[in-house]
Amino acid sequence: MTKAIQEERPVPAGVPALKLTNITKVFGPVTAVDKVSLEIPQNQVVGLIGENGAGKSTLLKILTGLHEPDSGVMEVAGKPVRFRRPQDAAAAGFGVVHQEQSLLTNLSVAENIAMNALTSKDNATKGGWYRWGQLNREAEQILARVGAKIDPRAIVGDISFVDRQMVEIARALRVDELTHTSPIVILDEPTSVLERNETAILEREIALLKNIGSVIFVSHRLDEVMRICDRIVVMRSGSVVADRPTSSVTEEDLFQLMVGHASQATKSEAADRDKGSEPLLAVSGLTRKGEYKNVDLTVRPGHCVAIVGTLGSGRESLVRALFGAEPFDSGNLTYRGKQLRSWSAAEATRSGMAYVPAERKVEGMVGGLSAAENLVLARTGRSGWFVGKGKQKKLAQEWFERLDTRPKNPSLHLSRFSGGNQQKVVMAKWLQSETLQLLILDHPLRGLDPGAAETVNAQIRAARDGGTAVILLADTLEEALDMGDDVLVMRDGEVTARFDLTVDSPTSLDLLEKMV
Amino acid sequence: MPDNTLSDSAPTTAPAGPATPEPRRQVRAITVWTSVGPFAVFAVLFALVAILRPNFVGGGGLPILATQATAILLVGLGQAMVLHVGSIDLSNAAIALFGAILLAKSIGTMGVGGIVLVIVVCSAIGALNGILIAFFQVPSFALTLGTLGLLQAASLIISNATTVYATNAGLVTSLFTQGIANLAMAFWIAVLVAIVLWAMLRFTVLGQSMTAVGLNETGALFSGIRTRLIKIVAFTLSGLLSSLAGIMIIAQAGSASSTGLGSDLLLPGITAAIVGGTAITGGITNPINVIFGALTVTLIPIGAAALGVPSEAQSLVYGLVIIIAVALTISRRNVGVVK
Repeated sequence: MTKAIQEERPVPAGVPALKLTNITKVFGPVTAVDKVSLEIPQNQVVGLIGENGAGKSTLLKILTGLHEPDSGVMEVAGKPVRFRRPQDAAAAGFGVVHQEQSLLTNLSVAENIAMNALTSKDNATKGGWYRWGQLNREAEQILARVGAKIDPRAIVGDISFVDRQMVEIARALRVDELTHTSPIVILDEPTSVLERNETAILEREIALLKNIGSVIFVSHRLDEVMRICDRIVVMRSGSVVADRPTSSVTEEDLFQLMVGHASQATKSEAADRDKGSEPLLAVSGLTRKGEYKNVDLTVRPGHCVAIVGTLGSGRESLVRALFGAEPFDSGNLTYRGKQLRSWSAAEATRSGMAYVPAERKVEGMVGGLSAAENLVLARTGRSGWFVGKGKQKKLAQEWFERLDTRPKNPSLHLSRFSGGNQQKVVMAKWLQSETLQLLILDHPLRGLDPGAAETVNAQIRAARDGGTAVILLADTLEEALDMGDDVLVMRDGEVTARFDLTVDSPTSLDLLEKMV
Repeated sequence: MPDNTLSDSAPTTAPAGPATPEPRRQVRAITVWTSVGPFAVFAVLFALVAILRPNFVGGGGLPILATQATAILLVGLGQAMVLHVGSIDLSNAAIALFGAILLAKSIGTMGVGGIVLVIVVCSAIGALNGILIAFFQVPSFALTLGTLGLLQAASLIISNATTVYATNAGLVTSLFTQGIANLAMAFWIAVLVAIVLWAMLRFTVLGQSMTAVGLNETGALFSGIRTRLIKIVAFTLSGLLSSLAGIMIIAQAGSASSTGLGSDLLLPGITAAIVGGTAITGGITNPINVIFGALTVTLIPIGAAALGVPSEAQSLVYGLVIIIAVALTISRRNVGVVK
């Protein structure tokens, strides 16, 4: 079944699998990708790294046909191409494994592998009929090529994360089966959802992929990039700042290249804030089966506790329990000196807690209401039966001004604002409350452009310095180290380390070590 | 640009204020139509009938229309409240009929007490619907389908499967014998109810919470809104308005039976809400427009009869006009997917 490890290739050796020349993509005032030129040689793994907002995602979207570049030339195997739709990219041999797993968990492995932009050209599903025998056989072959032993009949929801990731890769590889060119596989942070031992398996498989095509590997884990990749491309502010063979760089070099200059953010001393105050929220032995166990945690007014961990560390579920949005099995929750028995999001809100969920559009806001209406949506314990439209408008204008929210029209539906501006409104919804005491933030900066991120960050800082307690699930370790007074590291639902940043000064690597 | 809210690290740009006049103008046109569409549809239909049959207006067509529309309007308003929180109440017409039979039996002995009893019982049935839906997570469609069956059985039992004549019905019949501007008092009461509901949705915290729940229940929950309570309130309102519809049935006919007047209010009630521009997905409701929805729904059969459409073809006309009316009036303002 491993017949196709060696591939006959019409492309002469030495011609890069992919060549980009001066690719530029502009969104309004922001140049997301600025004159990027790079080459992906055949049968190599090329790492693509950079901070959030460095333009990696936009570049990947250009490669996969989701965005068209404003200028520049793309050549695949020596021939210029233009992708207008994702199908064009698939036809040219690009296979993608997205950052978030995109498998349909209620279908079988084979069905998921067949679920591809080009299914209509495929024999197993020609004419809209499923030929199950053929479908499963093809899936089996393709899984064997990536070295995975997964039953194609298994339901995706039942298999492990690493197996799912292999299915994703198998699916991405199918473009090759259909187009008979050597594939270019794009892996967008494929290991971010995996545990360490699983990561090792995946790393091995990625190394094998070199035999059948080229790989673009995006990751935030520098050690991993160093191990897997032949070359490493570093992006910063939309440009390629380095393109080097792995052998000639160190992790420290990469870090420097990514961040630019070592920026020392203003970290207001925790000691300046009320140090001796009683804990606002104290949690002991909090446990929920399958999510987290025996978590102890205290938050004091004016302090920020940052919790870091990978997906599956249980931290999201933990903070939802604090807010009363999810139940917990055992443990004690003491808030404002009272031990809580029954707890709900409605009660939490009324007693001064606020929660900014990561899923902004689904959970954080009501898109069909105007921005002004969203601002007064939270039931923070203000009494009254009636909505004062005039007061509401004034409040909205005030906060729009303060957070520089655009467009400056609070009566527009919130769904029509961009992500960053939506997040500003969501933050303002809680910050305008006079009873606010505890701010629980789940990835507050996710998907925000640098400007919006800075505004939101400044507001969080101001709230904290004003005496509000903050629990932060940060996007990046740097964010956690920058904002937190205490940092909790979680892995598999357990707290594996705590750092008091007023005493310790752990590095990102120290945290990473405890995370995975 | 409805979907410029990309979620990952690409530096997406804020839609600068003055840079987006084009889509905003479109929205305004849609918004205007959402608010006047149901009235326009009714006005056009009414004008059509009036032009083709001038006697219809002179010969008391409008008072008949208002009288016939009253119960449909009340049930339709109740339905609109439930649709507004993203649910549906298939039992509300059955509640109305059950209320009517209960009133026919009790008004003779209890008088005004009978009216109060009916309002309380029907509201309680509505509340129970809401409680079961909110706490047992049963889809409203399935649960109220069950309640519908139970109530029909209950109606048959308490009426002994015959027509129950209300003694002392004079207490309520004045609702239809007296009127303002030639239209029955009962109709004006229903209109007043619609206006109160409109103000409730627009100016109260309760109304805003109902809207939030209908548009995005999870988002509402995470803003500290008691979403279960809000749903129970919506179903209770539906029960309450059904009880008023039941009272109107007795006021109009003086009797009630499980097959008589008011036994087919369910679909006209839903239709009135939807022709009135209510989004079946929740969160978009204008009770004032439900008035025109109810009038349109009532006008079609009356108008068709006045125009001499043969009785076999009346269902055809009804169906076609409803499809056109819904296509014209349903709000697409912020509903990406229409279920």
